[in-house]
Amino acid sequence: MTSSTTGGAGALLTATALRKTYGSTSALDGAHFSINPGEIVAVMGPSGSGKSTLLHCLAGIVTPDEGTVHYRGHELSAMSDAERSALRRGDFGFVFQFGQLVPELTCVENVALPLRLTGVDRRSAEAKAVEWMERLEVDTVRHKRPGQVSGGQGQRVAIARALVASPRVLFADEPTGALDSLNGERVMELLTEAARETRAAVVLVTHESRVAAYSDREVVVRDGKARDLAGMAGAA
Amino acid sequence: MIKVWIRDLLMGVRFAVTGGRPGWTRTLLTGTGVGLGVAVLLLAASVPSAIHAGDVRDAARQYQYTEDARPTDTSVVVGHVFTEYRGKVVGGMLLQPDGDPEKTVTPPGINRVPGKGEIYVSPKLKRMLDGGDGELLAERFGNAKVIGTIGPDGLSGPADVRFYLGTDTLTAEEDGTRTELFGFATADNDPLPPSLLVLVIVMVVVLLLPIAVFIATAVRFGSEGRDRRLAALRLVGADSAMTHRMAAGEAVTGATFGLLFGGLFFTAGRLLVERFEVFGYSVYSADVVPTGWLAALILLLVPASAVMVTLLAMRKVAISPLGVAREGTDRGRRLWWRLVVLIVGAVSLGFFGPSMRGGDQVNEWGIAGGVLLTLVGVTLLLPWAVERVVGRMRGGPLSWQLATRRLQLNSGLAARAVSGVTVAVAGAVALQMLYSSVELRDRQETGQDPSRATMAASHYDIDAPEALDWIERIREVKGVTEANGFLVADLVNERTKPDDDGWRHAHRVKIADCDTLRLLVRTDGCRDGDVFFVPDPEEEEGPSPVRPGDRFDLRADQNAEAKQPTPLWWTVPKDMRAASAIANPMGELSRGLYVTPGAIDVKEIRHTWLEAMLTTDPANRDTVEHVRNLAPVTDRGFQTYELSMTTNSDEFNGIRNALMIGAVVILLLIGASMIVSTIEQLRERKRQLSVLVAFGTKRSTLGMSVLWQTAIPVVLGLVIATGGGIGLGVLLLRMVDESATDWLAFVPLVGAGLLMIALVTLASLPSLWRMMRPDGLRTE
Repeated sequence: MTSSTTGGAGALLTATALRKTYGSTSALDGAHFSINPGEIVAVMGPSGSGKSTLLHCLAGIVTPDEGTVHYRGHELSAMSDAERSALRRGDFGFVFQFGQLVPELTCVENVALPLRLTGVDRRSAEAKAVEWMERLEVDTVRHKRPGQVSGGQGQRVAIARALVASPRVLFADEPTGALDSLNGERVMELLTEAARETRAAVVLVTHESRVAAYSDREVVVRDGKARDLAGMAGAA
Repeated sequence: MIKVWIRDLLMGVRFAVTGGRPGWTRTLLTGTGVGLGVAVLLLAASVPSAIHAGDVRDAARQYQYTEDARPTDTSVVVGHVFTEYRGKVVGGMLLQPDGDPEKTVTPPGINRVPGKGEIYVSPKLKRMLDGGDGELLAERFGNAKVIGTIGPDGLSGPADVRFYLGTDTLTAEEDGTRTELFGFATADNDPLPPSLLVLVIVMVVVLLLPIAVFIATAVRFGSEGRDRRLAALRLVGADSAMTHRMAAGEAVTGATFGLLFGGLFFTAGRLLVERFEVFGYSVYSADVVPTGWLAALILLLVPASAVMVTLLAMRKVAISPLGVAREGTDRGRRLWWRLVVLIVGAVSLGFFGPSMRGGDQVNEWGIAGGVLLTLVGVTLLLPWAVERVVGRMRGGPLSWQLATRRLQLNSGLAARAVSGVTVAVAGAVALQMLYSSVELRDRQETGQDPSRATMAASHYDIDAPEALDWIERIREVKGVTEANGFLVADLVNERTKPDDDGWRHAHRVKIADCDTLRLLVRTDGCRDGDVFFVPDPEEEEGPSPVRPGDRFDLRADQNAEAKQPTPLWWTVPKDMRAASAIANPMGELSRGLYVTPGAIDVKEIRHTWLEAMLTTDPANRDTVEHVRNLAPVTDRGFQTYELSMTTNSDEFNGIRNALMIGAVVILLLIGASMIVSTIEQLRERKRQLSVLVAFGTKRSTLGMSVLWQTAIPVVLGLVIATGGGIGLGVLLLRMVDESATDWLAFVPLVGAGLLMIALVTLASLPSLWRMMRPDGLRTE
């Protein structure tokens, strides 16, 4: 059985019939997915269902064994490593559960990093980074290193970094997974607010329904197949 | 494009110098590790200049000889003298000005020629004279007044024991040389014999290769953390080329710190170098200057190799935005190309080796290349062997299991750390084998018999009453338990005709009492007045055998053309008996005439000298010095030497010492790098260790796992090194046409390697205990 999607012809990112196996384990088995500009889609499912693999395929980090991923009409698997890296620099942003900040750099330097990688000079990049840190209420820790801030602060720094280059798509994999509920809620509020302001599409991988509640649409991944809950509801 | 490259490189530099304490620790460890290696390389690069500077100064103090030099206002009569003091050779020169001492030329290092009873001494000799037993040595110089120290330009090194003693007893015609100039432009050095040359070449390769391995290991300190950091950068859009450039920037920074630290260590070591004396050599700090092109090579190659090593290491690591994946073990390490390196090395030695035997031009580069490839080949076998052996390890106690599983995951890391030990031990084993065989060949039997006499003394140009007096004086020295002396004279037989050059061969006549005679010759009984003759069957050109009734002129000059004094004849008695030859305690076989004092009027012999054999009390270590003090150094006729069954070449002893010092330094360096990498691995696994402790794993189990983790690769490395070292040793021995005598050369080195395992484990334990605290479980 294949999944249904609500993405139409104007979809920003589309995945079709993705299959991915690791050894003898099938992670994705004919999954479909699409997301429109500015849309927030929650990808839900139990552990091991393949939701993170789907996110990695959508972001071009992992190449699927079968199927295609199109971003604004370009097939990701046809791109070179350098082209996909350029995409991650300019068009995509990432927030993971933990461990994505560079420990050697201060928080503001971490946030400025995507801009620096695209060639923006340090002063401008850090000025922009500070703006985003203020919006995410972490400007007070700008000169601290990741190891010196709390988990919640670190996650907000990571969101600021993911959004600083004004990405078209933000990939968030369990962004509140390592946080307590209060911190998690605040992080989600800030993340979705910021995404809506910048009209960034958000692919939000989570297994928590209260986190998924921040999304416009929910897709459930089970046994390597993605199923759109809205589509199911419509069909019913 | 260049801007982007510079940006990425600078970012790498940034990562190397930021990151708080762990970041700095990592960079400092790399810097220190590389720095130690660089310091050793700089020191090695300074050896040629240090040796050259010593040679130049040595040449500068040699006097120039002019035949028939006339005395002038500036000329000086010189005479070399040397003595021994507590095993150290004390060399010097007697100086006697012909004219005004103020105008007389001086050797470098002193301002004026010392007057009679005055002496200039080197700083080292001054310390010896000022020391506790200084008066014992001062007596040797006739308690001359020290009027100054010899400057560095007059000494080969700070530990040079040298003096210039003023005198008024020299004559240019007999015991001195007149000169008006000191110094030669260049020093002549004898080329090393082939076997020594091989030793030196191999030693240089053996000592420097582990340094290269050590530097390569040091630049990889913290590589796991770096790879994770680069993965984080991949996530925000850095592509593969960017991460490589950043890693290169980081490596260059570490290497630059290494160069900086190396420079500092070298400078510090250079200041201390004057305090050390290595096998008789000492150098001034100012002489320790790296050869320009070698220093430039170090400056370029260290950062370049750091980048190369880093990039090569990254080939096996897939750094993706999701993290780091090391190349799996599905494609095992291949053996064939490792064997190719080894075989090419061995074949090179086989090809270039015969030049050593044939006496042709020795191809040093070919031999060094062969040794290098063989040692590299042996070392390359290690990662393959560790992977194979560790991959087959199953079961065992938990500590063993933890260690083997860790090694199975990444055996390369352990193999790399140990590869330095493998090179050092393999090279040292080969060298030790070569050394032992060549040393055995070159160790000469002196024939001396220390059980019959421990010391010999001689005094030239002495008459019989004086000789008897000397023997008495020797006997009176405290600690001399026995002393026997005899007079020697070269007497010309009346029947001996001059040769074409007008020279008459003399018979060596030894005059000794019966007690002493028994030490020199085997007779059928002896009474005063007896004369014995021992024919010399090997002597073809010598004088004809002595017959009873032959007449010897006690005053004749061997030069038949010289003006001869009135002859005074001594007739060989009719009852002269034949005696058989034995070796005297000095190792000399008895030959010629042996005469007891009652048979000859020794007082009438024109030229005699005294030979004495004495036994000293081993409990009184200064007896030898007291004997030597019987005459001041100005009395150059008096000489002493201690008897020994064998002689060893000083050059060989020097090389053996250098080998041992080098091996110890390298093992210390490698031990230090292993401690660092073990602690680093522990830090990387802090969380896993905490989890294991949370499960209830005993400290001792984890401690043992660290021991196994160090021991397994080191033991494998030692086994390979021993095999490879013996193989290389046999090849080298073939090159110098020797056979192996020391098959157990590896034992002390393997022992040192095992000791290192224990030390590394012990040094890692405090870190292990710290890493096992439960706070390692905290994730925020």
